[in-house]
Amino acid sequence: MLKGVVFHIKEFAVHDGPGIRMTIFMKGCPLHCAWCHNPEGMSPQPQVIRGAGGERTAGHFVTSAELASRINDLADLLRLGEGGVTFSGGEPLAQADFVAEVVDQLDPLHILLDTSGFAPERVFQTVASRSHLIFFDLKLIDSRAHANYTGVGNEIILRNLKTLTRMAVPYVIRVPLIPGVTDTQENLSGIARHVAGMRGLERVDLLPYNKAAGAKYAACGMNYSPQFDENAPVHVDTACFESAGIEARIL
Amino acid sequence: MTNAITAELNHKKTARGAPNNSRSNGNVHSPEVDFELEPRLVRLKNAMRDGFYREFRRTEQIDVLNECDRENLSWPRRAARLTRRMCEAQLPIIVPDERIVFTRTTTAIPPIYSPSQWQTVTQGRTLHECGVISNICANWEMLLSQGLLGRRKVALATRERLKRNAEAVEFLDCAIETIDTVLDLARRYAAEASRRSRRGLVEVLEHVPALPARSFQEALQAIRLCHSVLWLGGHYHCGLGRFDQYMWPYLEADLACGRLDINGAEQLLAEFFLSLNKDSDLYPGIQQGDNGQSLMLGGVKRNGTDAVNPLTCMVLRVARGVGMIDPKINLRVTKDTPLELLTVAAKLTEIGLGFPQYSNDDVVIPGLVAHGYDLEDARDYSVAACWEFIVPGSAMEVVNVGAVSMPAAVDQAIRAGLPAGDSFENILNRVGGNLQLQVEKLAERSVRLLLPPAPYHSVLMGGCLERGSDISNGLKYNNFGIHGACSSNAADALAAVKSFVFDEQSVSPGCLLDALNTNFDQDEALHRRLVDEAPKVGNNDPRADTMLVKLFELFADACESVPDNGRGGIFRPGSGSAMYYVWLARGHEGMMEPTVGATADGRKQGDLFSSSLAPSPGVRVRGPLSILKSYAKIDYRRICNGGPLTLELSDTVFRNSEAIRQVALLVRLFAAVGCQQLQINTLNVETLKDAKAHPERHRNLVVRVWGWSGYFCELDENFQDQIISRHVHGK
Repeated sequence: MLKGVVFHIKEFAVHDGPGIRMTIFMKGCPLHCAWCHNPEGMSPQPQVIRGAGGERTAGHFVTSAELASRINDLADLLRLGEGGVTFSGGEPLAQADFVAEVVDQLDPLHILLDTSGFAPERVFQTVASRSHLIFFDLKLIDSRAHANYTGVGNEIILRNLKTLTRMAVPYVIRVPLIPGVTDTQENLSGIARHVAGMRGLERVDLLPYNKAAGAKYAACGMNYSPQFDENAPVHVDTACFESAGIEARIL
Repeated sequence: MTNAITAELNHKKTARGAPNNSRSNGNVHSPEVDFELEPRLVRLKNAMRDGFYREFRRTEQIDVLNECDRENLSWPRRAARLTRRMCEAQLPIIVPDERIVFTRTTTAIPPIYSPSQWQTVTQGRTLHECGVISNICANWEMLLSQGLLGRRKVALATRERLKRNAEAVEFLDCAIETIDTVLDLARRYAAEASRRSRRGLVEVLEHVPALPARSFQEALQAIRLCHSVLWLGGHYHCGLGRFDQYMWPYLEADLACGRLDINGAEQLLAEFFLSLNKDSDLYPGIQQGDNGQSLMLGGVKRNGTDAVNPLTCMVLRVARGVGMIDPKINLRVTKDTPLELLTVAAKLTEIGLGFPQYSNDDVVIPGLVAHGYDLEDARDYSVAACWEFIVPGSAMEVVNVGAVSMPAAVDQAIRAGLPAGDSFENILNRVGGNLQLQVEKLAERSVRLLLPPAPYHSVLMGGCLERGSDISNGLKYNNFGIHGACSSNAADALAAVKSFVFDEQSVSPGCLLDALNTNFDQDEALHRRLVDEAPKVGNNDPRADTMLVKLFELFADACESVPDNGRGGIFRPGSGSAMYYVWLARGHEGMMEPTVGATADGRKQGDLFSSSLAPSPGVRVRGPLSILKSYAKIDYRRICNGGPLTLELSDTVFRNSEAIRQVALLVRLFAAVGCQQLQINTLNVETLKDAKAHPERHRNLVVRVWGWSGYFCELDENFQDQIISRHVHGK
């Protein structure tokens, strides 16, 4: 039986998919986005968080059976609430085999994968094929810029997105709008052109940057020093998506 | 004068609004369209906030006592005289923008007995709170359908029938005196309306409350006046009952004949709600806003069929648009309540007033039936001031005679049982014994409870005039309620002892007792273990939830062991705490319930307990779904007095319509799991500020920012300030 590291479980996650959902935050992420708001999700290891209210450990090892049982305890409510479970992070695909093992032990539930899309194709398919909906991040269409701001290029991500179009799993493209980085007309139009007409695409969600992104760094013993101007206004453009026939929502 | 006429003309224009007006299609507006106060009501609301109505108040004390003594009046006659003199002292106030009138112009309620006389007449008896009858609900439906003249006829007929019964005759004469005085007050208002050329208003005031209401406006006016007079007579926590049930026939008729369109009806309703906030600073209560002007919506009719009507939804919409703390809205739901209705209710929750409060018919009605209520009456339940279930018009119940301190019962058992080498089972037996003693002590006091005569309140209750008997002599239901206070802390303490001292044996009894006696000053490690590692209610953890269930079982056993409350009723156990979550921790003047020091759940001396049903303060719990699961385990058939499960959500949860729908779904889950009553607080700026100043008390507080959430107390100070200011600006 596999063990995984989970840094938070949220029971009434209202912005992580349809209905009443439980969101499992998997610890560890291969990307290091300059605007990351979940610094405790970066390292794959449990770590101590020191806040004004005291210390706690973020990240605990759990077996797939333990996690599945915790979710199954609430499965009746999640179904009645027209929701399900969301696997988020960190990057859930970094612990894909564990996530798959958990899903295989679950009562019938709506499964949502919230991912950066950065994982080997087989790994991506392992979890994607077990999901009913995928929130797929697409941050920067230019690979060099992607590497600059997230630490990795976007080739693998785009390949998995292509793979996804061949699977019968609906998905939402999510774009964080970071001032001067991802919110440029060039980037948004590029993303719109790239995803236009893709099979299975439900819509695009735009997530405008909020300055509170750095709020948790100090408690994690980390510094937040974004290389972009946090105070610049966020450029929000849904028109380029709508003109490509894609529904776009601002969250 | 000009303004008054303009207002009246505007009214007519609205009233004549064509039925095919696009805003009045169907019976209610689409829930997506928010209700907005018309300019006239915006002015009224601003005037209210500026204290405009207080300018009409006269401060001189009205003297009733002297004449009562001079005429050597009996208690019932003194009560009637008080109502009469208070009504007479009211100056009729009609403000140009108003269409539902009555403004109180006197402040204090004068005494009808001197302190020494009071001592004599109450000798050897117990008084409840301020002494007068309070916290029940009149039969407003009866008032509207019979009118006060109808009630007067009933009184006269009974008087004729019982003319040889001096006590009945005196009561009925008193009742008639109060009826006549209210009618006189209405006449003076009508005259003032006439003087101001408010013809529409004259017509209303010449008709109600004397005669049965003919329109929605008349019904609202009748309630406004007759409800206000209850307060003038010293009564308080006067409930408004099943508002959508008794009001809908009047609104339905107006809509059908075109006298009102939907917007006109909503504006009238809004004005009625505003009027309830006019005098409420004069009403007694623990804190501003604790005045019990509660109303109930939805549910089933007495015959069991669905009672939801278009007014149900309208009240929720309008209350949101009015945005004031009165009236407090309650909504009856089941697991099958349509999501559309729950969504409208969730939008009211969004504005952060802490209501609607929800109650679950699937649980409440069987609980009332199990406690001796007729099924039809049980289906007709409403709430008293806060949450206690009560049947309007036929219950003379005292729903809050006191509280059992569950933490004290547990703490005493632990402190006595551990040194004695008790098994855990024996400790539980001690808890049961302690709860029994507490209930017996309350019962001993309550059987001596004295309810003063209340002739005017009796006019508005079913059966008093019919039987020629004052409400203080009892009605169909005469039960008393006891709060089962601070249950979560008590259950957590038991669970900690069971887990650490008995099962794991990782903490010795001596060690725990020492720590409790020294308020954990010498043993921070144990304190942290108890807080962070012991099982807690709210996590769907059987180790803690079993204790919660057991505590309520023992409490119900204790209540059931007292056969009679002295008035032919029983003691109803409940799960509320009222102010006891403070008082049981810190003491309160005149309180007979025991206080405790540090407790085995890791709570330090003086720290507050959980309020009603909620996880213990400061413990980290899994989330709302596990909380629902934990509290659903209580056998509410035996715990029928009421007391809400309280969930706190950040107002950032309500960012979009999808999230509001999810809150509605959460209410559905509350009903489906079998919880009894639910209050959803939207987190407000005061809580956030307190969390910044006292992070230890709010370790469980989650705020959501952008696409993420975090524990508020772990955020950088700057970000905490940012979130606080966002909440400030958001309001």
